[in-house]
Amino acid sequence: MQKSKKVLLLGHFGVGKTSLIRRFVSDSFSDAYKVTIGVHITKKVVDLPSGTNLSMILWDLEGTDELHLIRNAYLMGTHGVIFVFDVTRPATFQNIQRDLDIIKEKVKKAPVLIVGNKMDLVDPADVKRLLDENDIDSDYLTSAKTGDEVNEAFLEMASQLDA
Amino acid sequence: MLEKYKTQFIGNSIQFVVLDEKGLVRESDNTCFLLKTGDSLKEFHPFFESLEAIVPEANNEITFNCIHLESEGKELITDLVLRREDNALLLVIYDLTQHYNEYQSVAQARNESIIQEQLIALKNIELEERERFKDQFIRNFSHEIRNPLTSIMSLTQVLSQTDLNAEQEQMVQYLNQSNAQLRLLLEDILSISMISSGKLQLVEKEFNLIKLLNLLTFTYTAKAKEAGLEFVAEIDEKLPQIVASDRLRIYQVLTNILDNAIKYTETGQIEFSVQLNQKRANKANIRFEISDTGRGIPEAQLESIFTSFTQVYDKDKEQGSGLGLSIVKGLLRLMDSEIQLTSELDQGTRFFFDLNLKYPLPSSQRTDKKDEVLDTVVRKTLKKDKYKLLLVEDDVMIQTVVFKFLSGTDRFFIEIVSDGAKVMEEVVNTQYDLIIMDINIPNISGDQIARLIRDFPFKGIKDIPIIGVTGTLYDEDIAAYKAAGMNAIIPKPFAQEELLKAVFRYLK
Ligand SMILES: Nc1nc2c(ncn2[C@@H]2O[C@H](COP(=O)(O)OP(=O)(O)OP(=O)(O)O)[C@@H](O)[C@H]2O)c(=O)[nH]1
Ligand SMILES: [Mg+2]
Repeated sequence: MQKSKKVLLLGHFGVGKTSLIRRFVSDSFSDAYKVTIGVHITKKVVDLPSGTNLSMILWDLEGTDELHLIRNAYLMGTHGVIFVFDVTRPATFQNIQRDLDIIKEKVKKAPVLIVGNKMDLVDPADVKRLLDENDIDSDYLTSAKTGDEVNEAFLEMASQLDA
Repeated sequence: MLEKYKTQFIGNSIQFVVLDEKGLVRESDNTCFLLKTGDSLKEFHPFFESLEAIVPEANNEITFNCIHLESEGKELITDLVLRREDNALLLVIYDLTQHYNEYQSVAQARNESIIQEQLIALKNIELEERERFKDQFIRNFSHEIRNPLTSIMSLTQVLSQTDLNAEQEQMVQYLNQSNAQLRLLLEDILSISMISSGKLQLVEKEFNLIKLLNLLTFTYTAKAKEAGLEFVAEIDEKLPQIVASDRLRIYQVLTNILDNAIKYTETGQIEFSVQLNQKRANKANIRFEISDTGRGIPEAQLESIFTSFTQVYDKDKEQGSGLGLSIVKGLLRLMDSEIQLTSELDQGTRFFFDLNLKYPLPSSQRTDKKDEVLDTVVRKTLKKDKYKLLLVEDDVMIQTVVFKFLSGTDRFFIEIVSDGAKVMEEVVNTQYDLIIMDINIPNISGDQIARLIRDFPFKGIKDIPIIGVTGTLYDEDIAAYKAAGMNAIIPKPFAQEELLKAVFRYLK
């Protein structure tokens, strides 16, 4: 079966949204930071074990810590959300509960995955402790740089959208 | 005419596309992108694939800002407007690439600087935490090591009193030296950690500079003599007598440099010179200078001799070069000054620094007045003609100094005990009016003795006034000594005046 789903990547700026998509779509990475403005849209088709041929339309949004200001037009028709934070910068996950509430409010039924990125820069044990302390339940801890857990995160989203 | 201008202005930047319900191109003016009739927009760009989900949710017209569209090597940043017409869809593409690129560079600069700030703030927190941890560690460590060190020292002492052959005696002597070195090292490490953690605060008080310099001259003439060196002091007569500063720290700086000079000089002399650079308003700028005829410092090491214990164990560096100079550097920095030096191999080294010291106006009469005050205190409070004092002190130098300080008044019989273990016996056998006690004495520490005395069941012993003498820098320690039962604590080094004042205050 053929399906097409719109997936939003949200999160503060510089957390690695663009890099994660680049790793997932073209299996590449750049250390240079080019700030995304507005939205970049790319597509990747994945074949799921269910037999579904899922076309993921990935909306790479300009990073912001003021999620309530995101334009409505960007949010319409969203099927799934990947919320990305940067494990090296507490500022990007300190208010995660508030951020998630805003997201849930805006895209009511869509599944939301929480991804902590840049794991290659830190000691996993430190991150786990930090996240525990802040009561953060992340779904995936990734590195766009090494590719660790990147496919897993996107494919999990794909299979949730297939269901 | 108008059309022509309009085309010139917006011609290249707005494209109109008419689509059928399936999203296939019916008509397009192809201003920005080439779209042929029958083309599927979904194939053209994935943005349009998501429209399937968006359009049902949208009103009749919907605008998307700042959408990146790329096709066949062309990349534009656009605003897109979609409008529902009767059984058709109108798409307007505004090419705003230039406008958005400007916005991009603003956002780039803003984001980069915010991220940078966040990372720096984080680094600082981490550094502070590490620093705190290090300080705590050093404090605990030096505290813990004190007990075993004390037993090593007292056992060495006990050992030295047993029957030893010449070789053994020599070894015990080395042991004693090493113990003393270890204790010094421990204190140095503590000082450095306090300076570097900013815990050390200067205490500015008026004091007699000339007396301090004389005390140093007195002490170091003896020390130099012991080391077979000559000591030459040149103290400027124009120096203000009373200055306001942290006497203890100035003393610490000078003794560190002087000790260092004696240590590294085999023959010749140590010169100690203090000269007035200038007086202005109520500030005197004073040059302190200490030069030796020692081996000198190789140029390559000039910088590193001031670095602290993280680097001090450099294997090229002389063993036991100590931490004194990094303490000097840290303390002088606290006093807004800087240690400087010139050195020539095998000729000697000259350390110098300038201090800006406040002095009170008018200057000269004040000390006399103080002395008068002291005299009246002495006269008023004394009931007996002569008092019996016990001095518990193992350092011969300090014994001499205290003796000198007190004997001038001609009011005291002074007994000296240098071993902590013998104090109680002495106190029980002789009725003393006051005890002056060093905290760091062999076998039993001064504060422990104070506690024993205070716990003693008899009046006349349990209430003997005790004045503690200590080199410690810590308020906590001083509080602990007082809690142990000491009436007052005098920090080393002390001036005659301070000692006498304390003694007379507690004599009954
Ligand atoms: N070490 C490391 N660096 C990463 C990783 N992911 C992204 N980066 C770097 O982080 C910076 C920001 O990455 P982007 O992917 O542009 O971040 P973004 O979330 O798209 O940022 P905005 O577009 O401003 O919202 C870039 O310099 C990347 O190279 C990662 O997993 N590890
Ligand atoms: Mg981006």
